[in-house]
Amino acid sequence: MKAANDTIGGPAVAAPEGREQRAGLLGRRLVWRRAWKAALQVVNAAGLLTLVTIFAMPFVWMLSTSLKTLPETMIFPPQWIPGNFVWQNYADAWNTGPFLNYFVNSVVIAVGILVLQMLTIIPASYAFARYTFKGSGFLFGIVMVTLMIPAQLIFLPVYLELSTLKLLNTHLGLILPFASSAFGIFLLRQAFMQIPEELLEAARLDQAAEWKIILQIMVPMVKPVLVTFALFSFIAHWNDYFWPLVMTTNETARTLPLGIAKIREVEGVATWNVLMAGNLILVAPILVVFFLSQRQIIKAFVYNGVK
Amino acid sequence: MTVWQKLRPYGMVAPAIVIFSMFFIYPIFYMIYLSMFDWNFVSPTKTFVGLQNFRDLLAEPDFLKVLSNTTVYTALTVSLTTGLALLLALWLNRKSLFHGFVQGAVFSPHIISLVSISLLWSWLMDPEYGLLNWVIGLAGFDPLQWLSHPSTALVSLVLVAVWKGLGYNALVFIAGLQSIPAEIYEAAELDRSKPWTTFMKLTLPMLSPTIFFLVIINLIGSFQVFETIAIMTQGGPVNSTNTLVYYIYEYGFRYFKIGYASAAGVILLFIVGVLTIVYFKLLSRRVHYR
Amino acid sequence: MAKIELTNISKRFKDETVIDNLNLTIKDGSFTVLVGPSGCGKSTTLRMIAGLEKQSGGDILIDGKCVNDTPSGMRDVAMVFQNYALYPTMTVRGNIEFGLKNRGVAKSEREKLIKDISEIVGLTPHLDKKPQSLSGGQRQRVALARAMVKQPKVFILDEPLSNLDAKLRGQMRTELIQLHKRLGTTFVYVTHDQVEAMSMGDEIVVMNKGVIQQADSPMRLYHDPANLFTAEFIGTPAMNVMKRSELSGLDVPDGSAAGYVGFRPEQALIGAGPEVEGWVIDGEIMTRESLGSEQIYQIRSRMGVFFVKAFLAPLVSEDRVQVTIPCGQLYFFGADGERLRGIEARPLQPAAGGAKA
Repeated sequence: MKAANDTIGGPAVAAPEGREQRAGLLGRRLVWRRAWKAALQVVNAAGLLTLVTIFAMPFVWMLSTSLKTLPETMIFPPQWIPGNFVWQNYADAWNTGPFLNYFVNSVVIAVGILVLQMLTIIPASYAFARYTFKGSGFLFGIVMVTLMIPAQLIFLPVYLELSTLKLLNTHLGLILPFASSAFGIFLLRQAFMQIPEELLEAARLDQAAEWKIILQIMVPMVKPVLVTFALFSFIAHWNDYFWPLVMTTNETARTLPLGIAKIREVEGVATWNVLMAGNLILVAPILVVFFLSQRQIIKAFVYNGVK
Repeated sequence: MTVWQKLRPYGMVAPAIVIFSMFFIYPIFYMIYLSMFDWNFVSPTKTFVGLQNFRDLLAEPDFLKVLSNTTVYTALTVSLTTGLALLLALWLNRKSLFHGFVQGAVFSPHIISLVSISLLWSWLMDPEYGLLNWVIGLAGFDPLQWLSHPSTALVSLVLVAVWKGLGYNALVFIAGLQSIPAEIYEAAELDRSKPWTTFMKLTLPMLSPTIFFLVIINLIGSFQVFETIAIMTQGGPVNSTNTLVYYIYEYGFRYFKIGYASAAGVILLFIVGVLTIVYFKLLSRRVHYR
Repeated sequence: MAKIELTNISKRFKDETVIDNLNLTIKDGSFTVLVGPSGCGKSTTLRMIAGLEKQSGGDILIDGKCVNDTPSGMRDVAMVFQNYALYPTMTVRGNIEFGLKNRGVAKSEREKLIKDISEIVGLTPHLDKKPQSLSGGQRQRVALARAMVKQPKVFILDEPLSNLDAKLRGQMRTELIQLHKRLGTTFVYVTHDQVEAMSMGDEIVVMNKGVIQQADSPMRLYHDPANLFTAEFIGTPAMNVMKRSELSGLDVPDGSAAGYVGFRPEQALIGAGPEVEGWVIDGEIMTRESLGSEQIYQIRSRMGVFFVKAFLAPLVSEDRVQVTIPCGQLYFFGADGERLRGIEARPLQPAAGGAKA
């Protein structure tokens, strides 16, 4: 009560007993408000924890399963911590197919796409952003149409095209359709357009050749956008299942996601422990990278929706 | 201006334009062309059948089922993802280390391969030993068949899609919320606006471009769902989860009815095209707050 | 060092003519300031000299050589931009060095030049920082150093001080004047601020709507304006100008073409005795601004509102005053705004009951 009185500091003119009453009332209200606030905080914290659980539990469950024996996976109610850690599951998963091959293919394809994309989108977006030339509207229209067409929609004709070009089951066949990115051009063009003209003029007065202006001044200035796009592109193609599935008929160019999906066919449907071990091989690197550069990656993906 | 200076921009855009023309623009026309033929991919001759493939498709009960599946799946996924994400964003829009961590956790499924997510959820939804049945058992519910029963399979796929997309959507919303200038809220406070009024009259309208963007992105994404279906249900049980892209895939690569599959592709192209045009039409007409 | 000549220069953007038939000679080694309100074509003129903008017609000569087809980088011109235009991806050293590298200056030579220049502008401790971590004044110095290090024939400055706060602006003004003295290079400077123009330039070009109004030394510009625009543009507060038809108390010869009469606020005297012969105006003081050493009064009279500026005089406290303008301090302009010289106006006898007016 006294404390409440101190904090509130009731009107000094009030009669002594009135003042006492008032302070008491206010004090009680304050206690309520504090209790309400505390309760809200507890509910909020509990909610947040539940949320984290909903999103983290499946991954924990995956890890737990990947270390179990097959009989242990068939205990109900389920058991969170396996009796013995069966690391063998990882080896089994790895041995269901040419995993080293898959891994190399995944790296070659994701990196190949990224490198070619950089080589094609930087000059293209620069030209769209900084030069006026006849037909630029039409050409940029092609970019915009491409941006709108999901690859999932045209896989059939592209398959036929690649088969005519004898590019099925090759790295090149999986890389070439994504050798440029409409999204990347769109993003980068935006960034190039924001650079003030003065900077280019200063560089021209410094007698810099056009290629030098582009490579030494303009490209370094859009580096954050480039990094953002690179993260986005690499993760998207590293994870891709659809395209390699559709464009390959044998193992030569298949990637990790296909290998993981295939474990089920090799090991039988119910070997969840091996399957989850394989799954973890695919997921772990991405998750580790994610938690190391969370801010950057979230920015890379969310960026798209914010402009 | 020298010749070189005149040609330079064309040289710079050429590689990208060539790639796009070869692998995006040309295939569209090729697909429309193929949709008017009967062809099994191996035979050297294609037979022109006009619009027969489209007539066959629209008379095929399976295809109509596929269309309805796709529509239901899309409607549920888009409304749930966008709606829940908005609530989540309002709740999580705070800048603290802990909130950052929660945001990260909620976002994490977005960067995981759909293969992993499909496998993981197949296991979680296992009717006998799956974790989900245990969880709902704790809450006092009877175990469900999840993916193995026609009545729950499609909804189960929606659940996975929402789980995967929620974090991304919420973070886009949070970015949208943070781009609303704080002064507007301060002004509303000085005008004695109640929280609910502030939300309805200020936050929601200012967020409308973001809502709009997400709805379209989710729509287009949901219409072409493939991975979860290919891995988790293969369109079953009894066609209850068969959707457009999976249908095209099956007819193209399993039954080799290229013309027929192309016709289905053209229909999907039409749907996505209409959505995109609607998007841009509305986008150009709408009020811009920023 | 170089003389710059512009002959019959015109510039059109699409259908709009910004500059038409402009002729100007900028003297070798001068500090020439182009001044005028925004949109008057001063920046366009400057950018055409630098080669950043191509003129639609006419010739530009630097040092007697026609540079119409010389690209900007080869004109031996250095420029300081309004927003500095520093390369944010390079260090201060990198910024200064970039132009030298592009001209193929040897490394040892470059290092010596950078060392010298950074000592002159006081950047030595900041050479390895990025421009973003510098203050406004320091960035300004980097921009200057970057221009100076190339030892150009012509130095071009496009409103370089407009992003600095008042105190720093004053300081940089002095530094720029000293720099010009030291280098002896031709400086071409653009500003919209006539105070800046007056305090820095030894040659001022007043422009309006793409036309040069007057090109002269600061003192002549002030004392002998060629037209109404210059007269009103130079000086604060601006020259008081009244329409001839609204005059009272002044007799302008009937035959003259004068359309306007003007006088500078600082030439008008408040409460001068009858010993000062001049035009007397009765008025009411509306506002008083006191800056300590000077006072500015806004006075309302029958002919409209005008300003009077007094130096080191006690503040006038009464509301109704008599203002006297000595006859020699009156300027006459034609109806088209051109200055008319040699007109002698006579004050009418101050009305006995002037205060009533």
